[in-house]
Amino acid sequence: MMRQEEPDRSATSIIEFCQFARTHGLSAGIQQVLASIEATRLIGDVDRQGFALALRTAVTSSKEEWDLFFQLFDSFWNTSAPKSKPTSDKAGKAKTSQAKASSRTLRIESVGDASPPEAEGKGVSGASAERRIRKMDFSSVSQDDLASLEEISLRLFRRMSSRLSRRLRIREFADRLDLRRTIRRSIHRGGEPIVLAFQGRKSQVPRLVIFLDVSGSMNSYSLFLVRFAYTLQKYFKRVDTFLFSTDVVEISEVLRTRNLAEALHGLSEKAAGWAGGTKIGESLNDFNRRYGRKLLSRNTVFIILSDGWDTGEPEMLSEQLRKISYRAKKLIWLNPLLGLKEYEPVTRGMIAALPYIDVFAPAHNLESLLELEKFL
Amino acid sequence: MRLAGALILMSTSPKLPGENQIKDVDALIRGFEQLGYVADRSLATSVYLLLKLHKPLLIEGHAGLGKTEVAKVLAAMLGTRLIRLQCYEGLDVGAAVYEWNYQKQLLAIKIQEKTQQTVEEKEKHIFSKEFLLERPLLQSILAEEASPVLLIDEIDRADEAFEAFLLELLSDFQISVPEMGTLKAKHIPYVILTSNRTRELSDALKRRCFYHWIDYPDFEKELRIVRARLPRVEEALGRQVVRFVQAARQLDLAKPPGVTETLDCALSAMSLGKHELDMQTVEETLGCVTKSVEDSAKLKAAGIEKLLS
Repeated sequence: MMRQEEPDRSATSIIEFCQFARTHGLSAGIQQVLASIEATRLIGDVDRQGFALALRTAVTSSKEEWDLFFQLFDSFWNTSAPKSKPTSDKAGKAKTSQAKASSRTLRIESVGDASPPEAEGKGVSGASAERRIRKMDFSSVSQDDLASLEEISLRLFRRMSSRLSRRLRIREFADRLDLRRTIRRSIHRGGEPIVLAFQGRKSQVPRLVIFLDVSGSMNSYSLFLVRFAYTLQKYFKRVDTFLFSTDVVEISEVLRTRNLAEALHGLSEKAAGWAGGTKIGESLNDFNRRYGRKLLSRNTVFIILSDGWDTGEPEMLSEQLRKISYRAKKLIWLNPLLGLKEYEPVTRGMIAALPYIDVFAPAHNLESLLELEKFL
Repeated sequence: MRLAGALILMSTSPKLPGENQIKDVDALIRGFEQLGYVADRSLATSVYLLLKLHKPLLIEGHAGLGKTEVAKVLAAMLGTRLIRLQCYEGLDVGAAVYEWNYQKQLLAIKIQEKTQQTVEEKEKHIFSKEFLLERPLLQSILAEEASPVLLIDEIDRADEAFEAFLLELLSDFQISVPEMGTLKAKHIPYVILTSNRTRELSDALKRRCFYHWIDYPDFEKELRIVRARLPRVEEALGRQVVRFVQAARQLDLAKPPGVTETLDCALSAMSLGKHELDMQTVEETLGCVTKSVEDSAKLKAAGIEKLLS
């Protein structure tokens, strides 16, 4: 629809803009629509930029949306791009292409996030498709299924992590006197605190360290565990994630501060050598040296995802694993190959590793990842 | 519907002297400038909307860019109280909203023991306002004269349960204390929330708020901030410091320096009696700009000489 230079500021066109924005990755819910109308009415008769600024404050709700806004504003009120963008938008301009690229994923995420009832109400065919996808091996997912796999995995991981946190909260024990309730109860005994009330403290939330093999053969699996790690980090005290093949790269910060689409984008830039041989032992040595003291404690669960094809020395591997299992609460090794019926852990690396592993589990499809819940 | 409710409440509350003087966005920019805060039009628009529509404003951005300062300056400009709630992990209702003064209550019960009061009277007494410890959120609701500015700082550090509680407060501006009943705000506070984005906030909370992202200022603006904050800084030194910090921001440091760091750096150089920022001064005041060994090393590796030119 063509519009003239000066944006039409009636409520109708603002509602239309919000609808347009919604189809382009903004959430723009009803409250934001109302706020937009209110805000633009209040701001009154100002120039185009003033109008846009007020609209932006009202309609956006995150950095991503904030950066995307002017692009949407300009393309809706279809004009040549105005010269006078606010100075603070330089970064936004630079990131526009990236934001565009991630907007698809952004929306996928928001489906799983904001409206689970809708996603669940997709009907019977959806349910059976889900069951199929849950059992699908990550390495053999077709391009068509990838999007729905991403969506379903996010939703299931989220559900699982909220279940985890609930379980953690129930397991409470009393260790502190609750004065408030004690006094409340003492009133009908004339103020003698006979019945004491106690307050429980939340049990210690474990920390998680995830060590991901990103050598060629493991690539497709690792990406899903990154997703897994991303959703879990809300409910652990701290999740630290590392990628390794021949080097170790820390990616915790990437996962912690940004949204998932951005994080995955950032990862592909950060990963050192996504292909090539694997030196698990040396990588672990590197990890122990650089991060071991900081991250390993009695409260840490350590997860390794690797197929165990090690080109380094097995002695090194077992030595390093011994160190880790000595200091960590639990050592979990996930091996996607374990999903294959005929697989047996007979590679040199795997044999060297087995004595120190607390849990040895497959991680080749969604279902096996969800199984992990009971070990965390 | 909720908006409409808020508007009705607004019209019944008496107008502030400060709020009335702010007729438009430009007036707000001027008001902020008088108090030494350089606000661009974008930020001023957001604050103006907060002021007029009484909807909370969520400000996000990197550390050290003056998020918290916005609330302080706003309160100063309106001549109203600033109530600050610093969030942290494990923040609970007792620390954020209210708590009973238990010791005092116990004493009161003992004192009342020999009196003829009925149990109901006793209960009423020990659960009266006298025994109530008001924490920031309750204070903001109970403000008597005028709408205070309520700053909820670093909301991303609080846990989600608290966020959910806040949601209720921000939509109704009332707090219910079981023993006393519901307390409703006489004056709707101006609420500013800040977040460093260490985690995503819930959609419901974001939907309730106006949003503003503070980015690093460009050269001109940062220089104006330095001039406004440090009126005695020499022009050449100010320019050099700003240029240096702006260059340092391009380095992909773990903690890029904010405006706070720029001001610290300029102030340190001034205190050392320097008139220009040279190699030696930078090395002496490196701790102002970078906050970790790794970042300092990175900065040195990039060549301080080069960053200064």
